[in-house]
Amino acid sequence: MKRVFLVITVLALSVFGFVACNESTTVDSNATTTEEQITITFWHTYGDSEEAVLLDTVLPLWNAAHPNITVNAVRQDGSQYHEMIVTSFATGNGPDVARLDISNIASYAEQGGLVALDTYDDFATLAENYIDGPLSTSLYKGSYYALPLDTNCKAAVINMNLLESELGLTEVPATMEEFINAAASRGTYSLSVSGVGDWDLYPYFWLFGGSLTNDSFTQATGYLDSQDSIDAINEMLTLHSQNIFTIRDIDGTADAWAGIQDTFVMFFEGPWYSFSEDIVAAPIPTYEGRSASVVGGEDVAVFATSQYQDAAYEFAKFLTSEEVQLAMLQVGQLPILKSLVDNETVLSNPTWAVYMEQLESAQARIPSPNNDEIKTIWSNAMTDIFLNGADVATTLSNAATAIDAELE
Amino acid sequence: MNSMSLRKKRFHKGLRGWLSALPFILPGLILVTVFIIYPMLFTIRISLSDYRIVTGDITYIGLTNFKNVLFETKEFWYAYRNNFLYAIVTVPLIIFGGLLFSYLVNNLKHGQSIFKVGFYLPVITSWVIVSLVFKYMFGNSNTGMLNYLLVDVFHILDDYVPWLYREWTGNGAIWVMGIWKNMGWAMLIFLAALQSIPKDLYESASIDGAGIWAKFRYITISAVKPTIYFVMVNMIIGSFNVFIQVMLLTSGNPNGTTSVLQYLLYNRAFSKFEFGEASAIGLISAVTIILLTVLLNKIFLLDEKESGV
Repeated sequence: MKRVFLVITVLALSVFGFVACNESTTVDSNATTTEEQITITFWHTYGDSEEAVLLDTVLPLWNAAHPNITVNAVRQDGSQYHEMIVTSFATGNGPDVARLDISNIASYAEQGGLVALDTYDDFATLAENYIDGPLSTSLYKGSYYALPLDTNCKAAVINMNLLESELGLTEVPATMEEFINAAASRGTYSLSVSGVGDWDLYPYFWLFGGSLTNDSFTQATGYLDSQDSIDAINEMLTLHSQNIFTIRDIDGTADAWAGIQDTFVMFFEGPWYSFSEDIVAAPIPTYEGRSASVVGGEDVAVFATSQYQDAAYEFAKFLTSEEVQLAMLQVGQLPILKSLVDNETVLSNPTWAVYMEQLESAQARIPSPNNDEIKTIWSNAMTDIFLNGADVATTLSNAATAIDAELE
Repeated sequence: MNSMSLRKKRFHKGLRGWLSALPFILPGLILVTVFIIYPMLFTIRISLSDYRIVTGDITYIGLTNFKNVLFETKEFWYAYRNNFLYAIVTVPLIIFGGLLFSYLVNNLKHGQSIFKVGFYLPVITSWVIVSLVFKYMFGNSNTGMLNYLLVDVFHILDDYVPWLYREWTGNGAIWVMGIWKNMGWAMLIFLAALQSIPKDLYESASIDGAGIWAKFRYITISAVKPTIYFVMVNMIIGSFNVFIQVMLLTSGNPNGTTSVLQYLLYNRAFSKFEFGEASAIGLISAVTIILLTVLLNKIFLLDEKESGV
C-alpha cells in the first residue's frame, strides 16, 4: 500500500512539474492603462560613462514624466549581446525595448523579433525629425523596425607630433595625395587599420573610388567588380607594398590605438577614441576630391515578445527626444535629430564638429538580413587579396556574385 | 491452466518489481527525456527543416540543410579537417606527456602532491581565462609575449607575426592550448593506474635482470594499456567538442581555416540564424563521434585478444 502511495505521489509530482513548466502567461500585449503601474526592461551595452548619464539624468527625466512606467535598465555584455538577443527571441525572456547595433536591425526584423514601428499613428511625424541616414538603418522591406538612437562614423585620428616630425607637415593634410606623398619616404607604416572587415576597410575602399552595390542595395555585380573598385583595391595594395598602409591582422603590426601614440601618424576611428592635445580628430583627407566614411551607430527597437509594446515605444521615442539626445551627447553619443545638427553645443566641441561634418560623406553598410554573410564574403575576399595574394579582379568578381545571391 | 496461473504470477511479480523501481528511476527518466532525448529528436527534426526561431515555424525541407553545409562552402570541410587534425596532433602528445609525467611523479619520494596540483591546475582553470592568456601570448606586435621574445628580446625573427591570423600558427596555438590544458587530467588518470600496479612485479623483473626501459615497456605500459585506451577515447571525443579556444583565439580566421565543427555550428545558429544547418552540423558531429568510438573499440578489442591482456 505504501509503495502504491509512493508511486502515485511521484507521478502526481511529475505531472505537476510538467504543468508548472508549461504554464504560459497570456497577457494582452498592449494591456497597459495610464493608471496601471508597470515595469519595462531596457537592454543596452553602454559603457560606464554613458550608463552613468542614463541612470543619473535620463531615467529621472523619464520617471518624472511617466511615473506609472518604471524602466529597468539592464547593461549587457557587448561581446555576447547578439547571442543573448537571439536566445531571447526563442525563449521569450528578452527585453521590452533594446538599444541595438544598426547592422542587426534587418536580420532581427526578418526573424519577426521586432515590432514595425511605422504602424503607430505618430510615426510619420516623428520620422521627419530624424536625419535620413540614421533613420534608413531601421528600414526593412518597406517598414521601419526601430528608431535611430545615436549615430557615428569614422574620421581621421592624427598624431600631430608625428605628422610634423616624421612627415614634415604642420597642418592636417586636406588630401590623401598630400599625406601619401609625405609618408612615402618615411620607410615605415604611417596609416593603420585593424583588420579586413567591412567597418575597417569600407572607408578606404570608398575613399579610393570603389563601390559595393547600386544605390538600392540590390546588386553587387557591376559595382564591386567594376574597374573603379579594382583600382581602389589596387591602390590599397600599392600603399601596402610601399610600407605606407598597414593592416594589423595581415602584417602583425601594432594595434592602431596603441600604435597612434608613437608609430602611426593616422588611422580612422569613431568618436569614442580618447583624443588629446597631440592626438586630434580631423575630417578624412579627400582622395581625387572625394571624402568617405562608414556610418555606425545604434537604434532603439521594441521587441515583438514584449507584453507592453506601447509603453516600450513611448520609452523609445523618449530616448530620441532633444533633451535626452543632448544629455547623451555629453558622453560622445552623436545625435540623430535634424534639429541638433547645427546646435551650438555640438559645433562648439571640435571633435563632435568633425564627426558631424564627416557624417555628410559617410555611407551606410549594405542593409540586409544577410548582413553577417555579406560581411564574411567581404572579409574573406580581402583576406584572399591581402594575405594570399589572390587576383583582385577575379576575387572581386566572385565576391560580387556571392553578395548578389545574398541580396536576392 | 497451471501454466496460465504461473504466467500470471510471473507477470504480477514483474509488475511489482517495476512499481518498486519506478519511484527511483522516474525522476531521472523524466529529466533525461526532457533534457536529452527530446532535444535530440528535436535537433533531428530541425536539421530537416527551415526553422524560424521567433515564430517557431518549422517547414520541412528535406536534406537541403545537409546539402548546404556539405557542398555550398569550404567552411565545413576546413572545420571537419581541423577537428581531426586536433585529435591527431593533441591526443598522442597528451597521452605521451601524461604518461611520462605520471611515471616521473609516481617515482618521486617527496613532493608528489605539489606536482599533482601543479599539473592539474590547468585542468580546473577556466577555458575563458586560459584562452585570454593565450591570446595575449600570441598577440600581434610587441604586445604579444611570443612576438616580443622572438623579435625584441632574442632577435630570432625580424618581423612580428600575427600568429592568430594565420592558418597554421592559429591552429598551432589552439593545439598547444589543448595539450597544456588536458595533459594534467591524463596524468592524474595514469597516475591512478600506475599506483595500482603491484610492486612485486617490478621486484621480480629486477631479480630477472630487467632494466628501467624493459620494466617500463613490459610492465608499466602493459598494465596501463586499458587506461591509455580510456584516455584516448575520451580525448578523441573531446576533440570534437573544441569550441571556446577557437571562438576566443581565432574566431575561425583567416577565412574559416582555423574553424572547428562546434564553432561553425555556433556561428551558423547565432550569427546567421541558420538553425537547420547548425543542427545538421551537430548531427554530423554526433555520427562521426559514434563511428570513431565504435572503430576505436573494435581496434582495441582486437588488440586485447591478440595480446591476451
